[in-house]
Amino acid sequence: MKIPAMPRLFAKKTPTLAGKKSFWQTLMKQKVLLFMSLPFVIHVIIFKYIPIWGWVLAFQNYWPGKSIFDQIWVGFDNFKWLFRDPVFYQVLRNTLAMSIIQLAFGMVSSIILALIINEVRLVFFKKTAQTISYLPHFISWVVAANLIRDALSTDGGIVNEILLKLHIIKEPIMFLGIPQLFWWIIGASHVWKEVGWGAIIYLAAIASVDPNLYEAATIDGAGRLRRIWHVTLPSIQPIIVILLVMNMGYLLSSGFEQQYLLQNGRVIDYARVFTIYELDYGIKMMRYSFATAVGIFRSVVSLVLVFGANYVAKLLGQERLL
Amino acid sequence: MRRRRLLLLLLMVLTVTAASVMVSAQKTKTFTVFLSEPLPDYPGSTIVGDIIEKETGVKLQREYLVGDLETKVGLMIASGELPDMLTAAHFTSLFKDAGMLIPLNDLVEKHAPNIKRLYAKHWEQLKQEDGNVYWLPIQAIPYDTDDSRYPELGFFINKKVLKEAGWPKIKTLDEYFELIENYMKKHPRINGERTIGYVTLFDSWRSFATTNVPQHLLGYPNEGEFVPVLEAGKFVVRQYHTSNAAKAYYQKLNEMYNKGVVDKETFVLNYDQYIEKLSSGRVLGTFNQYWQVQEAQQILLRDDPESIFIPFPVVLDETIEEYQRDVPYIQATQGLAITTACKDPVGAIKFLDYLIREETQHLVQWGIKGQHYEVDENGHFYRTEEQLKLFRDPDWVRDVFGGPYFYNSFPNLRGIDKNGNSFMPDRQPHLIYADSHESEKEVMDAYGIKAFTEFYNKPRPRKYYPLWTITIPAGSPAHIEQTRMKDVLNAYVPRMVMSRTRDFEKVWAEYVKAISPLMKEQIKVYQEQIDWRMENW
Repeated sequence: MKIPAMPRLFAKKTPTLAGKKSFWQTLMKQKVLLFMSLPFVIHVIIFKYIPIWGWVLAFQNYWPGKSIFDQIWVGFDNFKWLFRDPVFYQVLRNTLAMSIIQLAFGMVSSIILALIINEVRLVFFKKTAQTISYLPHFISWVVAANLIRDALSTDGGIVNEILLKLHIIKEPIMFLGIPQLFWWIIGASHVWKEVGWGAIIYLAAIASVDPNLYEAATIDGAGRLRRIWHVTLPSIQPIIVILLVMNMGYLLSSGFEQQYLLQNGRVIDYARVFTIYELDYGIKMMRYSFATAVGIFRSVVSLVLVFGANYVAKLLGQERLL
Repeated sequence: MRRRRLLLLLLMVLTVTAASVMVSAQKTKTFTVFLSEPLPDYPGSTIVGDIIEKETGVKLQREYLVGDLETKVGLMIASGELPDMLTAAHFTSLFKDAGMLIPLNDLVEKHAPNIKRLYAKHWEQLKQEDGNVYWLPIQAIPYDTDDSRYPELGFFINKKVLKEAGWPKIKTLDEYFELIENYMKKHPRINGERTIGYVTLFDSWRSFATTNVPQHLLGYPNEGEFVPVLEAGKFVVRQYHTSNAAKAYYQKLNEMYNKGVVDKETFVLNYDQYIEKLSSGRVLGTFNQYWQVQEAQQILLRDDPESIFIPFPVVLDETIEEYQRDVPYIQATQGLAITTACKDPVGAIKFLDYLIREETQHLVQWGIKGQHYEVDENGHFYRTEEQLKLFRDPDWVRDVFGGPYFYNSFPNLRGIDKNGNSFMPDRQPHLIYADSHESEKEVMDAYGIKAFTEFYNKPRPRKYYPLWTITIPAGSPAHIEQTRMKDVLNAYVPRMVMSRTRDFEKVWAEYVKAISPLMKEQIKVYQEQIDWRMENW
């Protein structure tokens, strides 16, 4: 589906006349801002850059309690093992599939919810609906997983009961026992849990849309749907793109608790994602080096995905993250 | 005048408090300890705990297990953040491999006469390759062994089924399912809800409750993933996952699944849901180890005593002699250990020495004499009806009495002491029958037995027993193979049971093909260790 041309809202910055000289001037001018951002820069360095040193583990046969000089260096053995493991490809497929399902349905549903809530006139109803929709976000997955298990149970679970009462099915369906369904259960439960929470950011973006635009559109004879299509959506488009690019980075790291708690032996081939794989074949076996190797693989792929998405956004002339 | 007196009083109170604070500051030692059992946090004050704290001056800062132990252990070792003492079930040796435990030999020799005396029988088994002892097994059997009301494992069947069928003795798998099927036909609903014929537990690491069964059908006790078979005077490690017993077992489950006897959602239940189903009273049968169904059994005894579960030693066919009960053993490969992070190992071992002596054990397990138990003219311990009632309330026992906080994770004594008393109240020989619930007694009377263990044969002595306490070296090829094998079991067992009956052979063939190449390395490790144990124990 192609979205009709949207008006660009933000005028391009007029290029400054300043050359090299004014760099220091700008710096001095913005010193307060720089000072304010300093703690965050330090935070990022300590918690994101220094731990990269730990990557050396991937090239060792690491054993805890020994100094780095006593460790055995094994080169790329851990990576070779990883790429030769048939389980790895299964894990890659599952992680990508579930992440994409979650990302696509999660974003679309949040945007739709935000649009709908925004159109509601009754303030009381609006607030209540919004609160109820984001409440599940605050339930831990441990509790949520048990709720989902009970709801999908064949033994009096509400989903089966309703379907039976409506005569849509004759026999209760064991939803959690069908491997091919697992991805979709993960997707659906993700939407249920995060839809309201995800909508908040879009609601905030919608709130900042200039009311004049709506008035102008109304005068031009645009109905509600037209206004959503031609004013609201184009206005929040930059946010959507930026969130999409950011989320691309999490494609390979998403999901642990959800899959871990909802999986069972029957669906393991479709449920195991990278984080569970690292746990089962890495940390639980004290193969820290191997777990690190998997982590490196994920980081590298994530970087490629983020830059790739960013590049595509640039090609399409959209707002970019970087 | 009055004011002055008040002031004086205040001053006195102040000095007394200050003094007591100083005294206690001098005397109390604090040890941090990680315990691999999931208990709620220590309530701060319990009957048993207060006495122990007063007598030793030791305060424990406990961290109980939350979530998955294997993960927790992995993270603890990776981070190097250790408590003073820890238990980690069968992952204890990983801490030793990482050089994080201190040897106990000298400490015990110099500072712990009780440990030395009470563990003497086991001491050789505890020595590692370097000749050092790094942990104290949670249970020591210093004198004779004792017996219990329930066996370690069994095919459990609802009392209602037995009663209606006229108390039959169940021997084979076919008989067992026939009884369940017949009862189910007659009673499709129990308490207004659908009757569930058979449930099998398949939740993550607890799935052994399903996959261990073939070895028991062949008459073996719980050895673990493999069984040592006596061949020409030597124990040879064999696999049972593709045995005839395994095939017959999965085929039977498949047949029963398609008949609607096996619960449709049995493979997706987690442990909580499993216990919930069992304690509803509408489940007719399940296989498990007793400790995994005990919680449900206790709920049933309280709320629905006619639906309690009775264990039977079920085997594949009449020709098989069963020896399913455990040879009494201590878990030599795991226990409580003192870590390198402990600043006062002498204090720690003295505390453990205090815990293990007979007096403390009587306090932890029986309670205070005259208050929680009585002694008859023969010197035998017993509890009055009122005392029994107190101890039947698990919440009171845990939160007010406090015994369990010094029990499962700390060194304990088991068996019969010199006076003929069992260290464990529910194993007190002359009370096993007497202290049973009325509903349990009805079953025992009907079969003419005094404990459900009497359905079972006496175990065959096996010196190495059991195989499952052998730890496979972390990250080794055998370890990876083990994980892969469990993956295959996880994927194929539900498929075999849930496939259509005519597809069973096909799925079974696929399963055999998938699992067969994944056992060689493990068998090698187990064989080496069994040989070592036969030689050195």
